[in-house]
Amino acid sequence: MRTDNNSSRSLFPGALEMMILESLRRQPAHGYALVQHIQQRSNQLLQVEEGSLYPALQRLLKEKLVKAEWTISPSTNRRVRVYKITRTGLRHLEQELSRFEHMLQGIALVLGPGRFAAE
Amino acid sequence: MNWFLQIFRRRRIYDDLAEEMREHLLERTEQIMRMEGLTRAEAAVAARKAFGNKAVIEQRSREVWQWPTLESIWGDLRFAMRQMRKAPAFALTIVLLLGLGIGSVTAVFSLVDAVLLRPVPYPDPSSLVIPWDIAPADMNIDGFTEYPWNPIHYHALMRETKSFRYLGAFLGSNFNLTGLGDPAMLEGASVSWGFFPALGVQPELGRFFTRDEDAPGHEREVILSDALWRSRFHADSSLLNHDIHLNGAAYTVVGIMPRGFGFPRANEMPGDFTFATETELWVPMALPTVTAPFTSSELAFIGRLQPGTTLAQAQGGMDLFAQRMDREWPASKGWNRSHITPLQKQVAGDSGKPVLLILSAVAVVLLIVCFNVAGLLLTRSLARQREFTVRAALGAGRVRVLRQLLTESLLLAFAGGAAGIGIAVAGVQLVKVLGPKSLPRLQEASTDLRVFAFAFLITLVTGILFGLAPALGAVRTNLVESLKEGGQKLGTGTSHPRLRSALVVSQIALALTLVVASGLLVRTFYQLLASDGGFRSDHVLTFQVSLPSTQYPDRESIARFYQRALPGMRSIAGVESAGITEAVPMGGPTEAGVMRVVGRTYHKGDPPPMVNYTVTSPGLFSALGTPILRGRDFLDSDVLSAPAVAIINRALAKQYWPHEDPLGKQVLVPSQKVPATIVGIVADIKHSSLREVPGPEMFEPYTQNVWPSLALMQVVLRTKAAPDTVIAAARQAIHQIDPGVPVAKVSTLATLTGTAMAGERFSMLLVGSFGLLAVLLAAVGIYGVISYSVAQRTREIGIRVALGAQRGQVFGLIIRHGLRLSGLGILIGLAAALAMGRLLTSFLYGVTATDPLTFVTVSLFIAAIAVGASLLPARRAASINPAEALRAE
Repeated sequence: MRTDNNSSRSLFPGALEMMILESLRRQPAHGYALVQHIQQRSNQLLQVEEGSLYPALQRLLKEKLVKAEWTISPSTNRRVRVYKITRTGLRHLEQELSRFEHMLQGIALVLGPGRFAAE
Repeated sequence: MNWFLQIFRRRRIYDDLAEEMREHLLERTEQIMRMEGLTRAEAAVAARKAFGNKAVIEQRSREVWQWPTLESIWGDLRFAMRQMRKAPAFALTIVLLLGLGIGSVTAVFSLVDAVLLRPVPYPDPSSLVIPWDIAPADMNIDGFTEYPWNPIHYHALMRETKSFRYLGAFLGSNFNLTGLGDPAMLEGASVSWGFFPALGVQPELGRFFTRDEDAPGHEREVILSDALWRSRFHADSSLLNHDIHLNGAAYTVVGIMPRGFGFPRANEMPGDFTFATETELWVPMALPTVTAPFTSSELAFIGRLQPGTTLAQAQGGMDLFAQRMDREWPASKGWNRSHITPLQKQVAGDSGKPVLLILSAVAVVLLIVCFNVAGLLLTRSLARQREFTVRAALGAGRVRVLRQLLTESLLLAFAGGAAGIGIAVAGVQLVKVLGPKSLPRLQEASTDLRVFAFAFLITLVTGILFGLAPALGAVRTNLVESLKEGGQKLGTGTSHPRLRSALVVSQIALALTLVVASGLLVRTFYQLLASDGGFRSDHVLTFQVSLPSTQYPDRESIARFYQRALPGMRSIAGVESAGITEAVPMGGPTEAGVMRVVGRTYHKGDPPPMVNYTVTSPGLFSALGTPILRGRDFLDSDVLSAPAVAIINRALAKQYWPHEDPLGKQVLVPSQKVPATIVGIVADIKHSSLREVPGPEMFEPYTQNVWPSLALMQVVLRTKAAPDTVIAAARQAIHQIDPGVPVAKVSTLATLTGTAMAGERFSMLLVGSFGLLAVLLAAVGIYGVISYSVAQRTREIGIRVALGAQRGQVFGLIIRHGLRLSGLGILIGLAAALAMGRLLTSFLYGVTATDPLTFVTVSLFIAAIAVGASLLPARRAASINPAEALRAE
């Protein structure tokens, strides 16, 4: 009866955090909206378990990379907790992204030229 | 950040998190309702499925804010405490069991710590050493290994040695204290000036002896022990620089040592040296610079190594010294070699073995306790099977459950450890009271930080040990199977009964090993008591008289005193016979000397014929109850003008005249000019311990003795009634002759024997009580397993009875189960006991390590205990009503 709740873990460590930060850089959002956003942007390729977002959010909160605030959502009229990226978060995201690009390049070189054409 | 504030802040964070996740689920539910047109209930299920395991996610989110392990451990702890409160009797049983185990181990450890591990209580103890003279390589006399030094050695070493920063000589000696009521005999030591600086202990009051005071003519100074100062001088500090009277001379008190300083002590030095139980005073040794010829070798040395000098370097220095002395002092050629022993090792002596024996026994008990508790927890974990299953179903990982269970075990262990420390504190006090005097540094035993640290460590190990088996058992369960089984009693998980049986079998095996060991020790003890010591210890009073050398300067005056004292003793009402001797049995070793048989030729280089040499009086053997095997006792007429006579013991007769009659043969000791004729043969008398194999010994009458050692003699009185009824009369008889002669060490021969046996008795009692404890625990273990299996097999037994099984058959079935378990345990235990036997050999006397009687008796005993423990469950099984048993399911 074990559910496969390791799907988020099968991403590499830090991937989920990076995606959350990138989403928040574009637009502050609450948890539910973040999940929607990530799933849509990935064309449903990443089947992230919705809940697995929350531990990641707590980690980011603790590192002060994001901050959170309770407000009333204008669209659904619900009480929602909206996350914003902080200045530290922005800097962190830049670093992570550049590290990630290096990593991707490296992997691409190893796997063979032409297979991953640059977009 | 203040952790306290942080915890408050964290509550808000958790609340936010919970609300946020709740809102998420609601939003999702509503979206699903909108998009897919499901009912709210259906949508809620779908939303939860998409969300994942909410409980686990929430826990993981919270963990972000926690000191990860610490806090979840706190959670586990609180849960564990709830578990304990739910079953208080169960928890209490386990805590008590563990307390008993951990407490006993801790108490024994504090003993080991005091006797063996803790550094001796002197500054920088690692550089303190005792160099002993050792015999020439080709000679081994009676197994003695350590010999005293000659003053010539002392002077030579003081002149040249570079290894020692300080070197002190010391020598045990007794002093008559007069001028304070009844004369008293004090046990002291003569020490050279280097003695105190070497030990490095400063006097509490006053000062040490100076180098100048350690010279003939200046030696009338004394340093007192704290105990003596308090008991005899009311801790009066004005005593300093005043005189006290020792051996009839005035000694100036120059110092008082700090409390607890009593070096040298008899139980810290080799057994064949004479030192005080606790040295009470020190006087300068004042060795003359020129050593007279034939000065006897009787000095012990204490050395403080130079900083940075290793033991090996110091030994090397002593080896060079030996070579040089061999050249410069040819008379003692071969006798200049030495062995340097660290003081720590010297003080512990060979007390290590019995103490470690006791430690092993108590470790076995702790192991049994662990297995016992593991068995109990296992039963309980079976009862909690559903709880674990549900937890696993809710997403608790194996590691998580394992950790929870280990936390519970550790909580129990630490509760047990706390109880154990209480038991240990009481135990140490008990051991101090009951422990034998022969055990060095026993009174230093205490439950200090080191001991607590040990208890903590043991508790931790114990908790993991007994917690691991049931925890692993619980984690290994198959989730689906367990859930399907539901509440059914007939468990299919067969691994648990097997594990439980294994635990019980090990308990029985361990208990058997321990009981065999204690059985062998008990037999040893009674064999020793029954062994022939060459005397009868009942109805014998002994005491010591020491004649002050000022009033009794020579042999004639000393002999005159005893010639008056002996008839006085014999005329006391209630005294059957009286005698005097240099050494009472069980009072310690006697003198040894060279004895040559007249008419035999001795070659140069042959080992000298050494025998024990004891000066006695007529009547001694009948007072001691020593049988005269042939010939006669000494007579009052055996005086100096009469022909010299000697009595020998059987061992000497056998060694020197194996095929001849020794009576009438003549022997000579070095300082005698006239040979003595052997007039009697007596049974062998043991001197230090009932274990010893008596060596050859010869006796001479005090009236013909030429050695000046007679000032200190033991009086032996055989009485008709209880020995203590004549104490007053005996003291009076002595004081009638001379009121200045102290009567000391009044004791009965039975007490002396008891004291000599105290070490044996102590080991036997401790190992024995641990053995009994082990049996009790094993019995509880068997009882637990059998009653559990009866409860499990209720249905099966019901069916058997329904199908016509007789009560007796059911009863037998259960008893056989108990016997099977114990039989296996006994077999394994017997094998272990046989293997262990070799280690025990050195403790045994009159019984072999494989003594069949002990092995058979103990096996039967354990089997009987096993049957006894299965009796109750078997009766319960036999009375099972089939109708009820089957309906109960």
